Amino acid sequence: MQFAKDSFFLALQSRLAGLDPGRTITLNGATVPGIVVVENLPPSSAEPQPNAFYIEWGAAQVVAGHARNAALMSMECVISYYTLGSVASMVDRGRMLGQMDEELLAICQPPNTEKIDYSQSPSADLGTKVFWSQPVFEEKQKTAVDDLAARHPDARVERRVRLNVFFFSEVTLS
Amino acid sequence: MSTTPLRAAMVPVTRQMRAYFAPVNRTTETPTIFDPGLAGMFLLNAPPSPWVDLGWIENFDRWYETPTDVVRSGAKAQPAVQFRGPLEARVELDFRQWGKLQMALAGGSEHMNVLAPAGGSVSPAPSGGTPAPGAAVLAGSTASQLVFGTGVAGTFVAGQLLAVDLDYQQQIGYVGSGIAAAYVSDPLAVKQDPNYVRRVTFNVGRVAEVTETSVLLAQPLLGGVPAAGASAQVVIAFLDREGGSFFQEWSALFVAEEESGGRVCFYYPRLSPNPGAGGGVRWDSANVGTRGSGGNRSAKVVGVPGGKFVREEFAAIESCAAVSLHASFLALPFTDTNDGQSVLCYRSYFPAAMAATY
Repeated sequence: MQFAKDSFFLALQSRLAGLDPGRTITLNGATVPGIVVVENLPPSSAEPQPNAFYIEWGAAQVVAGHARNAALMSMECVISYYTLGSVASMVDRGRMLGQMDEELLAICQPPNTEKIDYSQSPSADLGTKVFWSQPVFEEKQKTAVDDLAARHPDARVERRVRLNVFFFSEVTLS
Repeated sequence: MSTTPLRAAMVPVTRQMRAYFAPVNRTTETPTIFDPGLAGMFLLNAPPSPWVDLGWIENFDRWYETPTDVVRSGAKAQPAVQFRGPLEARVELDFRQWGKLQMALAGGSEHMNVLAPAGGSVSPAPSGGTPAPGAAVLAGSTASQLVFGTGVAGTFVAGQLLAVDLDYQQQIGYVGSGIAAAYVSDPLAVKQDPNYVRRVTFNVGRVAEVTETSVLLAQPLLGGVPAAGASAQVVIAFLDREGGSFFQEWSALFVAEEESGGRVCFYYPRLSPNPGAGGGVRWDSANVGTRGSGGNRSAKVVGVPGGKFVREEFAAIESCAAVSLHASFLALPFTDTNDGQSVLCYRSYFPAAMAATY
């Protein structure tokens, strides 16, 4: 399962670096592409930074009808991000969020990548692919008509994107 | 040796099916060959020439209707030998994208280009009346650039569709440069109209840019470099008809997009539109979002006398519906050059990297 998570993240990270080299964040003094996996960060990490994609993994299960011994699994994935705009008046924050929406949709294409074992060096191609559903863009808050400024003192606009990631388990079921 | 770790890669997973078509030489009945060894793992956005990408398709169904029977012998009528009955295979699908080729394949007969009418009084005709005269295409033209000489800017503008082909020369036989677009059995049947070939030709392109002496096309002409003596006329619309005597015939390649690594291709050397016996169906636009014959998202209703074949399908988009072109084909036989077997369809599989062989 970890191989699928790593492969998905590194595919999106390399695609983002190619698509928008300027979208970076600084983590522990290092500048990296602006997409990170929350569970890979120290628990003591600071609050999420604006203009960056945060990946969180959810529940996983064997896809019904595909169990056999080579189990096809699905895993929920949520990617969150927010922006405060690029100018002091923050009037372009809607446009900035739209740009991030487009970038995320773009780096999710094609919706598959090779499953690689990055725990060894050199990394090893595991022979199957990780593939995923098309992203669903949601408001992070349920009441989208609420005044954003009332919800967030800093007037941020934010997004939560859901998708399901599929992969063949490394475990052979009996 | 255990192949268990490699077996997962033996499961092809696909999200969607993509259709590619290429012309059949109707005079010699020679199909376009898809050789999996030469071009099997091509980039789906860049098919090898002369295959034309017709986009993603839906509701792709294949039928193989060749009965297999058994010769029995002995007192207990035990099976002795098997034999195959008449060959028949069909394909049905919905084109989600409309275009000249998609309409022609879904319609099945002559597919018309409605030519821009001549100025002044023109007798109305359902498939287009008297057209404005064509502009001669000059030497030096290519499939992507048509040379007309100075003053072309006053004739054509960017965005227009052009039909490019020869004048009808009163010949009997297939017409259309590069791709047979119709069959004329009697010049009188087409009123000896010199524009007839351009009314049906597949050599249609959209003007992307007009230069001082030529026009640049957004996509190359399917028939290649225009023949010497060809002319161009503006196309207003595409049109197909219920009826007509011509049968389209194309080579087809359907590719299941590989999500898990393995690619599956279905290659039909010769496909001809054929709605088959059908189940008796009709449109019901009020019924968008339901499907009478199983499945969903269709406005199809079964059991209507006189109706046999749905020409379009509706794919619901909330309260709207995207209209797709429903197409149905009969596979025609092709003689395999390796062993002389008569074949209707080839199914090829390109295993994922590191997948077990068996």
